[in-house]
Amino acid sequence: MDLPVQQFRTKAEQAYLDLFEAAENALPGARDSFVAGLRANAIETYGRLGLPHRRIEAWKYTDLRTRLTDVNPLGKGEGVAVSEAALSGALGAELANLPAYRLVIVEGDLRADLSDLAGLKAAGVEAVSLARALEKPPAWLKKALAQINPRDDDAMIALNTALMTGGVGLQIGNGVILDKPIHLIQLDGKGDPASIFTRNVVVAEPGSAATVLESFGGLGLHAPQRNAVTELRIGAEAAIKHFKVQRERDDAFHLSTWLVELGPDARYDAFQFSTGAALARNQVYLHFAGEGAAADISGAFLLRARQHCDTTLLIEHRVPHCTSRELFKAVLDGESRGVFQGKIIVSPGAQKTDGKQMAGALLLSETAEFDSKPELEIFADDVICGHGATSGQIDEDLLFYLEARGIPEEEARALLIQAFVGEALERVEDERLRDALGSASAAWLGISPSD
Amino acid sequence: MLEIKNLHVNVDGREILNGLDLTLPQGEVHAIMGPNGSGKSTLAYVLAGKEDYEVTAGSVTWNGEDLLAMVPSDRAVAGVFLAFQYPMEIPGVATMTFLRTAVNAVRKARGEAELSTPDFLRFVREKAAALKIEPDMLKRPLNVGFSGGEKKRNEILQMALLEPSLCVLDETDSGLDIDAVRIVAAGVNALRSPERAMLVITHYQRLLNYIVPDRVHVLSEGRVARSGGPELALELEETGYAEFGGEAA
Repeated sequence: MDLPVQQFRTKAEQAYLDLFEAAENALPGARDSFVAGLRANAIETYGRLGLPHRRIEAWKYTDLRTRLTDVNPLGKGEGVAVSEAALSGALGAELANLPAYRLVIVEGDLRADLSDLAGLKAAGVEAVSLARALEKPPAWLKKALAQINPRDDDAMIALNTALMTGGVGLQIGNGVILDKPIHLIQLDGKGDPASIFTRNVVVAEPGSAATVLESFGGLGLHAPQRNAVTELRIGAEAAIKHFKVQRERDDAFHLSTWLVELGPDARYDAFQFSTGAALARNQVYLHFAGEGAAADISGAFLLRARQHCDTTLLIEHRVPHCTSRELFKAVLDGESRGVFQGKIIVSPGAQKTDGKQMAGALLLSETAEFDSKPELEIFADDVICGHGATSGQIDEDLLFYLEARGIPEEEARALLIQAFVGEALERVEDERLRDALGSASAAWLGISPSD
Repeated sequence: MLEIKNLHVNVDGREILNGLDLTLPQGEVHAIMGPNGSGKSTLAYVLAGKEDYEVTAGSVTWNGEDLLAMVPSDRAVAGVFLAFQYPMEIPGVATMTFLRTAVNAVRKARGEAELSTPDFLRFVREKAAALKIEPDMLKRPLNVGFSGGEKKRNEILQMALLEPSLCVLDETDSGLDIDAVRIVAAGVNALRSPERAMLVITHYQRLLNYIVPDRVHVLSEGRVARSGGPELALELEETGYAEFGGEAA
């Protein structure tokens, strides 16, 4: 139990309260009692918890109370011109051009002109602008918003609920099997620094199957501060692949939370890839609500200079016969810091749980740091759970082997780094997406992708 | 022509090569034999340019060029190829990707055009078939899960693809059954040519039944203790390395 030790509010802490007070009456859904109630409740939770700090175990390595000193004003993405060239610039051409149902969200504003809403509707997916839907939420959204794997102990989720300005709501119909991914392109705007609070709610009805790709990039906004939450409910026997690609500016603050609930015999395959932001925190809270479900949450992050990236997972096995897998790879150069915290909780009665996690880091400099904290809390007696962590430098013997075959040292190093990341990328089944991530890794390494 | 003169090499502060002299003319195959610890593998690594092998005296030239001044990748470009005793496993790098990267790196550095994908695939398939390497093996991560024989055949495949002028084979027969030795030896023999010199390092005479050398050198305590024709290998098979400071072979 973490005791409240907050004595005073920091400037940033207070700034969020001020932001809410100033914007409250203009936020989407201000006149809807359900939405206004959610927001009021959330800001109260935030006020009670304050910004997370290092004495809270889950935030041990990412002390927002210290690191967040200034808070940007709320961003409004309306009217920002977005060209195809700008999309390619923000995400890389391969990713931007991936065949998909594209939904483009600029600072929370779902841009109908750039989005394939009609295509999604024809394919059996109800897609709505969250900003608009909050004004008068449809019944399905009311049953999902802030209710999928909800938490009352996370100040940053509460802050998102209080201040969410937009995003998308997706309802994937019963038995609908999509032929191509839904690509949520989430951009920051241009010009002045802004705080961006986006919220996506995805409900996959029973028996449906879809890929949801969330990509984050910048159009040129200085030091954007993003707090993005995606709620995802996966119904019985539904199968969802969920990807995240984060290539934001190196001065960005990026906080992302996925709240996931799996129904019986559901399947969830998630992969997170991250090279951007000065400070990034990727949280995934997942719980198994029905027997026989399986989840794989994997990812890779590549950091340099003074970048900080924290991946924190909480997997809760509340019912028997579920399987969870995690594999994360970190490449750390310069004075960067990578954090991996993976917690698996197996409730009493969640027998036959099978949970495994693995995290590995490749340190390219003497000053890079990797903190790995696996935690298993097991309250059932017939389970298989395990974890592992590795951390090391490039193997000189492997390097020599490649050099002895005529591959110059720099290229050989890059190949070994790609190989390290490649072990995680193998989890991505979609070949085009895997190639796009491979190219993104190559771009990070400063090498042009091979044809 | 490979010329090694008075080569002294330290590893971890211990002198392993101790005034080694060796001349290997173009087009010839020489065997290096000797007891364990006589410096055979050290010689192989020094020629390929492995770090941590400190040359304290002497010289090594290949066709008049100073090999010791070159980084490992430049030696490969200059024609040096080391077939490793223990080839490295690299998860995450497909064998085919590795082969193509290596071949094109060497071709580029030699001022030759890089091979197009179809040309490269044809080139690899042809050489792989001769070594009885299944196409499926080339899709797997480099050497990962390969048997001992598969790893060694993969080394010879790389040798065939990189078209070196100086081949150094370090204990290529170790850990192989007789059928695998035959395949590997046939692969090596196919590469014998007047433009290519080979140094075959082996503890046992067995391999030399299949790759018949022009000369045999016996190393002892870091230098060449005796040289002779192919018959020297047979003699060692009888007498062992006792007279060279080792146990019977």
